[in-house]
Amino acid sequence: MNEGQGIKIIVSMIGLDGHTTGGEVVSMILRDAGMEVVYLGCNQTPEAIVQAAIQEDVDFIGISSHASNYDQIELLVRLLGESNAAGIQVICGGNIPHDRTLDLKAKGVAEVFPPGSSREAIVGYIVGQVRARTAA
Amino acid sequence: MKRETDYGYVIKPVYTAKDIEGFDYQSDLGDPGAFPYTRGYHPEGYRSRMWTQRMTAGLGSSSDANKVLKKYREMGQRGGMQVIHDRVSCSNLDSDHPLGRREAGILGWPGSSLLEFEELMEGIPLTGQSITLLGSCAPSPMRLAWVIALAEKRGDDLSKIHGSVMESPFENYMGQTDIQPLELNLKLFLDACEYVIRHKIRMRAAIISQHFQESGGNNAQALGVVLSMLKEVCTRLVDERGLDFDDVAAVPYELVTVGTRFFEEIAKVRALRRMWARMAREHFKARKEKSCQLLIAVHTSGRTMTYQQPLNNIARSAIQTLAGAIAGCTALDNATLDNAHAEPSPLAARMSLNTQHIVASETGVADVVDPLAGSYFIEHLTNKVEEEGYKVLAKIDALGGMIAAVKKGFITDMLRDEANKKFREIDGKERLIVGVNHLVIPEEEEFRVPIQEVHPDSDAESIAHRTETWKKARDQQAISDRLAFLYAEAQKGDRHNLMPAIIEAVKVYATSGEISGVIRLARGLSYDPFKMIECPFPLGVRRAA
Repeated sequence: MNEGQGIKIIVSMIGLDGHTTGGEVVSMILRDAGMEVVYLGCNQTPEAIVQAAIQEDVDFIGISSHASNYDQIELLVRLLGESNAAGIQVICGGNIPHDRTLDLKAKGVAEVFPPGSSREAIVGYIVGQVRARTAA
Repeated sequence: MKRETDYGYVIKPVYTAKDIEGFDYQSDLGDPGAFPYTRGYHPEGYRSRMWTQRMTAGLGSSSDANKVLKKYREMGQRGGMQVIHDRVSCSNLDSDHPLGRREAGILGWPGSSLLEFEELMEGIPLTGQSITLLGSCAPSPMRLAWVIALAEKRGDDLSKIHGSVMESPFENYMGQTDIQPLELNLKLFLDACEYVIRHKIRMRAAIISQHFQESGGNNAQALGVVLSMLKEVCTRLVDERGLDFDDVAAVPYELVTVGTRFFEEIAKVRALRRMWARMAREHFKARKEKSCQLLIAVHTSGRTMTYQQPLNNIARSAIQTLAGAIAGCTALDNATLDNAHAEPSPLAARMSLNTQHIVASETGVADVVDPLAGSYFIEHLTNKVEEEGYKVLAKIDALGGMIAAVKKGFITDMLRDEANKKFREIDGKERLIVGVNHLVIPEEEEFRVPIQEVHPDSDAESIAHRTETWKKARDQQAISDRLAFLYAEAQKGDRHNLMPAIIEAVKVYATSGEISGVIRLARGLSYDPFKMIECPFPLGVRRAA
């Protein structure tokens, strides 16, 4: 169960989204898989998340979304690019409608996990991405 | 697959008289309308009072939400309306706040001033239906002030207006947060409750276990938590504000979640009525029978509405609505089939309201009070969830009550452990959910439902821009005077009631951000919780009487 060892990820809500349950459950799953999780919690602006990601030198940013504020996820991806930190992949999960999922992916979000996603799907994706990066 | 309740009680294949040994009809149930009210408060049940059939509204601008409320009425909303704040106004930020303008109106109603409330209620009477505004604790005193101010402007008799606009400060620890600190939220919440009691205003305070369960808590924990919240709030109003319990008891109402575990949900609501009745009589020494009757509204569970195969949610909502109706409730709002995707589309809202009317009119459920009473299984489950709920209550009591338990992290720890357990149960297929971990269909066979989008003219920036322009057109001197007065008032200690000063500020169109900011300053906090804007008023220069 330690397939995630060596991977560092931020888990955060974005903007004024105050729904914490999803982010906390996912943090537990990722920690159980051996990853180092930096849980930022609520009231995090995209700017603050980018800053934390660079300071903490993470591999991924995971945004738990339950507030329909997708523009801020797009802003987060843009800011990462502008900060020369585009290597940090953004993934998100939560109540995000199908079309918005496609938009977010088109704008640089690596993957979107809908509600009901399994541990295997989430952990497997992250580990797979890191392996692919290392192999490249 | 697990055959046990969500609080871990293993269910037997059959229940008999042995499972309710010692059962006494009078003391355990009583007739409907009689103590301990397990069977409800009305001898004739829904025949004398149908439950309020409502839907949650709030998306885009206040005018957009107003149109939705009018549409809901056409669609069969009866008895009351319910509007939820956006994430911005939940924290008492105005839509033109640098962070507010990024998401005003995108997950609720951008209610941050009397103007927004006037627009929300345009053409809708304040009387004749219950007015429910919710979303978080922080705007509670503003919401009360808007109702009072608008009633005065319209010349309505305030005593004819009823509903619920206050919300307890505990939801911040149940997976749904606003940014105001606990002490401030608690103080202003108690101020608003005290004000309605002293002025005999029929506005209630929501003590919400819904968030707790929707964030993963189980049925027994929910009972323990609700009773702890009620105990804490009532005790403070009696002890700190010098109020009579029989007046205090008219203020709280409980919003419970009803999920898919049909019998367990019914047992929980029945147990809650009995547990409150006993607490009111034995602990608080209630003198009035009314004080032993906790008003219970049902929200069918949004958490159980799956993202996958959303039409399945119609079936789930119907089962939950049926459970809520059988359990006995004063009001019901059901989650919509698109709950895991977006705010309700007109189609989804209509389906949910229709579901309520189908249950109310077609099934016969509304004809008989508490129809499952006496069932070995239901009575056993009611006893069981009560027993387990009392254990949670005892733990919270031992920590010093709800606020102490919150401060010690007990509530958040309990919730996190339970949410994790629920996830593992689903991930390990111990609990089956159709479309999620059972009978899953390939992506290409998935059917899509209409997704409700915010109207392009009411995006966050437009709402923010309007607020910005409108703010400049207000009577600046009047606002400045009233806020200076509020600032002085807010320095007089926690038990000095700020409602009169807040109402005066609201009447001259001071916003939630301004009112809350000034109170924060008086308490030594920053004007803006995010420290991005400064107070634009010269507080303390003038003092209005």
